[in-house]
Amino acid sequence: MNNTDKNIVKARHPFTEAFEMFSKNIAAVIALIVLFLIILIAIFGPTLYPVDPFDMVWMPFSPPGEEGFIFGTDYLGRDLVAMIVHGARVSIIIGLSAAFVTVFIGVSVGAMAGFYRGWVEEVLMRITEFFQVLPTLLFAMVIVALFGASLTMITIAIGAVSWTAVARITRAEFLRIRELEYVTASRASGANNFILMFGIILPNALPPIIVQAALMVGSAILFEAGLSFLGLTDPNVVSWGQVIGSNRSYLLDASFTVTIPGAAIFITVLCISLVGDGLNDALNPKLRQR
Amino acid sequence: MTDPLLSVKNLRIELNTRDGVAPVIDDFSFDLFPGEAISFVGESGCGKSMTALGIMGLLPEGVGKIASGSINFAGEDLSSAEQKRMRNIRGNEISMIFQEPMTSLNPVYTIGEQIAEVLRAHQGLSKQASWTKAIELLDAVRIPNPQARISDYPFQMSGGQRQRVMIAIALACEPKILIADEPTTALDVTVQAQIFDLLNDLRKQTGTAIILITHDMGAVAEMAERMIVMYAGRKVEEGPVQQVIDNAGHPYTQGLISCVPHILEKLTAKRQMLQEVPGIVPSLRDFGKDQCLFASRCQYVSEKCNNTRPTENKFSSSQTVACWLTESIQ
Amino acid sequence: MSLTNTALLKVENLGVRFLMKSNMLLGKKTYLYAVDDVSFEIQRGETLAIVGESGSGKTTAALAAARLVKAYTGKITLDNTDMLQIQKEKLRQARTKVQFIFQDPYSSLNPRLRAEEIVKEPLNSLTNFSSQKKQTLVNDLFAAVGLRPEQQRLFPHQFSGGQRQRIGIARALATQPELIICDEPVSALDVAVQAQILNLLRELQSKFELTYLFISHDLGVVQHMCDQIAVMYMGKIVEYADRLSLFNSPLHPYTSALLSAIPSVDQKRRENTKRILIPGDPPDPINPPKGCRFANRCPVAKDICFQKEPKLQNTKDNHRVACHLVDETAVSPLKHLL
Repeated sequence: MNNTDKNIVKARHPFTEAFEMFSKNIAAVIALIVLFLIILIAIFGPTLYPVDPFDMVWMPFSPPGEEGFIFGTDYLGRDLVAMIVHGARVSIIIGLSAAFVTVFIGVSVGAMAGFYRGWVEEVLMRITEFFQVLPTLLFAMVIVALFGASLTMITIAIGAVSWTAVARITRAEFLRIRELEYVTASRASGANNFILMFGIILPNALPPIIVQAALMVGSAILFEAGLSFLGLTDPNVVSWGQVIGSNRSYLLDASFTVTIPGAAIFITVLCISLVGDGLNDALNPKLRQR
Repeated sequence: MTDPLLSVKNLRIELNTRDGVAPVIDDFSFDLFPGEAISFVGESGCGKSMTALGIMGLLPEGVGKIASGSINFAGEDLSSAEQKRMRNIRGNEISMIFQEPMTSLNPVYTIGEQIAEVLRAHQGLSKQASWTKAIELLDAVRIPNPQARISDYPFQMSGGQRQRVMIAIALACEPKILIADEPTTALDVTVQAQIFDLLNDLRKQTGTAIILITHDMGAVAEMAERMIVMYAGRKVEEGPVQQVIDNAGHPYTQGLISCVPHILEKLTAKRQMLQEVPGIVPSLRDFGKDQCLFASRCQYVSEKCNNTRPTENKFSSSQTVACWLTESIQ
Repeated sequence: MSLTNTALLKVENLGVRFLMKSNMLLGKKTYLYAVDDVSFEIQRGETLAIVGESGSGKTTAALAAARLVKAYTGKITLDNTDMLQIQKEKLRQARTKVQFIFQDPYSSLNPRLRAEEIVKEPLNSLTNFSSQKKQTLVNDLFAAVGLRPEQQRLFPHQFSGGQRQRIGIARALATQPELIICDEPVSALDVAVQAQILNLLRELQSKFELTYLFISHDLGVVQHMCDQIAVMYMGKIVEYADRLSLFNSPLHPYTSALLSAIPSVDQKRRENTKRILIPGDPPDPINPPKGCRFANRCPVAKDICFQKEPKLQNTKDNHRVACHLVDETAVSPLKHLL
């Protein structure tokens, strides 16, 4: 960090350094590559493998590898490869959009509470606590049961039960950063509240929020799987959790029908966790000092 | 002349950094005599605290280690002593107080429990005896009403009082050496005066030798008899405090003294610009180089300074200076 | 604008309080009075220092003077404008005249912005300059504070502490302010770097005819930088005098103790000054005592000191002090101890 007069130092954005730190974490990089492949499958898979996942293509419970069905068939004789490929899209979309809803609600609430303090904080944090003590799965089930099991509703339900963590993190970061001198400096330079909140404090509060959002994608996928397993899902689309749910009675006879989609969920969520962990290390300035 | 209590010879402490191994302390020697107060002076990053941690055997594990040299304490080489022996020496024979009295005490125990714990662990006192001794110690560090205050938790005390408790803990086992690492930097001036006063009195009463680590020349003048000026892990000057202040031999020492606006006995209307020491302490990766590390900031720099590390030379009767140009500067 | 001897900043009976806890049922509120009935003024081109220990309210007073902390009572006049009455556009104009230099060079710069963007920030929100004019200004400012042009593109973490403080100074100078509030500008820096920054501040003061409000706990730095000095203790000004008068003949016992507590390299001073130790700590600021707030630590306190609060009064030569034991003859009550 010391620059002598002789060598000219190149400007390095804090995020550039974070990226370099991240790329040193081999597990996280591999996880990111796998995740990238999964996303590619989610986007292009259905086009490249145009088998309808709802079509009965062969005998039920055909084990993997037979008759050209790599993953075999389920209890209705549907192609498991098609189900996994199509399911990837739904799972990823739900994961990403639920994480987005979570971050949107969480950051809005946390930012308001942390910035304005006083009664605003009091009210918002009591609401947050209310949502925190609700049994999440039960609450999500109630929402889906009441408003129907469309993808949108499932996304909203997941978002509604999991934004509290983001809200608390955002509030804590705002409370810390708003007291820093560069924020006072900006106020002395005439910045209004909107600029202070979103132009100055939020960008500096982002690192832990990004990490939390990344982990949210994983837990949203799990959550959706849980709801699907219980049958609370859109019957017109196929998702990984739904495949497990519909085949669960045959767990002992044809275990592959459950373990294959289970492995898909496991690998995806594990990769997301590893990437989140890598982000956490890379964005944490204390670790970067070393 | 008596034998030194602590004798450090050619100490080299290496630190693992991102850019490889760097000598944070390089060929550093000094003696501390019984009951003496000496001071390490220098900017941050010059290795003052690292030397203290090295003596205490508290270098960050896996990051820093003593590469060569010896630390002779009462006939024993601490640089090769085992962890178990070092644990016994720490607190019993050599203790240390730190800059931050707010975080050095455990918030969940009362101060009495924390002092008594040290006494029980190191001196094997009974519960009752250690408690009585703890009250005596609190009284010795001038905490008013010690019988009542002994059951206080750290958060109930002010910063100055907490530093007094730290001193009480450090002195609990009557150590031969007390290392005070910037003990008053976090405190207000009036509290600092109280702490210095206390340390001076305790030294007179107990005969504990003190190593004061600081960047404040005023504090050195107030507290110590001899000072060692450190720069980039090396000793650049050593001598009796007032003698060095009045007639510093090394350009860095001169800079450290004249860059601070001092309050003199009588203030006059005239104000001069402060003498600057340009630049900053070099980064760790330059520490091992065979040259004078102060050269890049020195106004007297010559070619030799950039090519060869200066040797320690006698300068006046009791001062030593590591500078090629001492003669010509004077 | 007249350049006669009018005060640039005049603060009268300023009070700042913080809500500690409120009892909604009884409607009872407990306040901490961080700044209590504080008045001072700064002449153009001069430097006023507010000194005090932690918790004395010196920083809060300065923040309130720039309207960055809300004052509940008092009057602040900056360049003939009543700072507490103006809003929006007027306030924006007034803000260009007062800028801040902060203590901690690590938290005072937004880590996400490049050095040039940090310096431009006040220009963006307070002026309507063209981007070309802004760039020219930034170039000049970087030169003025001793940074190289190519360093404009760097981010804060790529600078050393002293260099960061230089960026902070450049930002403060950007809007060509008249008053700069320096809040402990060197106390977080290494000793050798402190001199660089202090010299720079004095150089800039004469170059741009700046007025400084200098907040510090370091009396050595204060005597070097300032013309007038106000000593604060627990939210109140206890002594207010010019530099020579305050340092050479302090009147308030607290000031005397503060001065005697500073360790000195001057052997003569050490031998000739007797240290006045003030035992204990300041009282609880939420329930300040009835009388003089320093009475419980004062070595010469009399009965009246515990009964009645002393007012800041003029003695000789505009040397003001808030102490019952000092009269017009301006003799220090600690004379017999010194």
